[in-house]
Amino acid sequence: MTGPGEPRRSDPPRLVRPYVVTGGRTAAVGPPLALDAIVRALTDGHELDLTSGPEPRRIVQLCAVPVSVAELAARMMLPIGVMRVLVGDLDAVGAVDVIVAPSQTATDSRLLRRLLDGIRAL
Amino acid sequence: MAYALFDRAIPAPAVPVAMKVVVAGGFAVGKTTFVGSISEIEPLKTEAEMTVESLGVDNPGPVEGKRGTTVAMDFGRITISTDMVLYLFGTPGQDRFWFLWDELVRGAVGGVVLVDTRRIEDCFPAVDYFEGTGLPFVVAVNLFDSVSTHHPREVREALSIPANVPIVLCDARRRTHVQETLVLLVESALRRAQGVA
Repeated sequence: MTGPGEPRRSDPPRLVRPYVVTGGRTAAVGPPLALDAIVRALTDGHELDLTSGPEPRRIVQLCAVPVSVAELAARMMLPIGVMRVLVGDLDAVGAVDVIVAPSQTATDSRLLRRLLDGIRAL
Repeated sequence: MAYALFDRAIPAPAVPVAMKVVVAGGFAVGKTTFVGSISEIEPLKTEAEMTVESLGVDNPGPVEGKRGTTVAMDFGRITISTDMVLYLFGTPGQDRFWFLWDELVRGAVGGVVLVDTRRIEDCFPAVDYFEGTGLPFVVAVNLFDSVSTHHPREVREALSIPANVPIVLCDARRRTHVQETLVLLVESALRRAQGVA
């Protein structure tokens, strides 16, 4: 599944050092985001201030269908740490919503049963 | 809410329940292959940085001193249903990235420890780790070409794996094998959740 405008593996390495896109910040605005926290768009991204680069709008576009922080980072070829900062910024202005899976999902037998049935049906 | 700031706010899409399985094992044991065999997206490499993440507050200070090397994790996704998605995280092989494991296993359904019988000792740290966390896990003996395979019982003895941990022979290149391995893991997790094991 390759979305439009998505970088390919064969793309040349990025010329901008990763934390330039965060203005040098290495810590997110809010609490640390889990790798598997799900991000979803609350806007189409047109209103976003792009003076610091196209990344915020790309993130919002990529999470029109909710995706994890890890997947966003991988798709945009940005380190997790950078993605956490950028998603934190977008969350702070209300452009995205971050949903952290409650940890008891892993021990909820009803959910595990659904997962099991789903894997068997693949 | 803050998103009222946006006049083009869109209806928020439904968020699926995210489940997570961690794939561990020694270096070059087949984790990427395992994830790629079943993931609906090409296995992605997610880079995490070896920096202390949780310094608490926004730190606008110089970045240079805080940067460490990056470490790549494999990452895959399987849509289970419209409201459930399974993520596969392949751990970085080296011991010094264990701080990442702690984050990866939090809330995970369980772990798959891939074993290469030619270098069986490489999986000891992963087995020890999962035993230490109490997380359900399965041991999957990766079948490489032209390698005489060991009987699962021999592997169990060599690794001192308790009886409640499934051991399976698995060709990581074959989707059905990977699928069966995940079934065993989730069954194991389910038994644990129901207090049977």
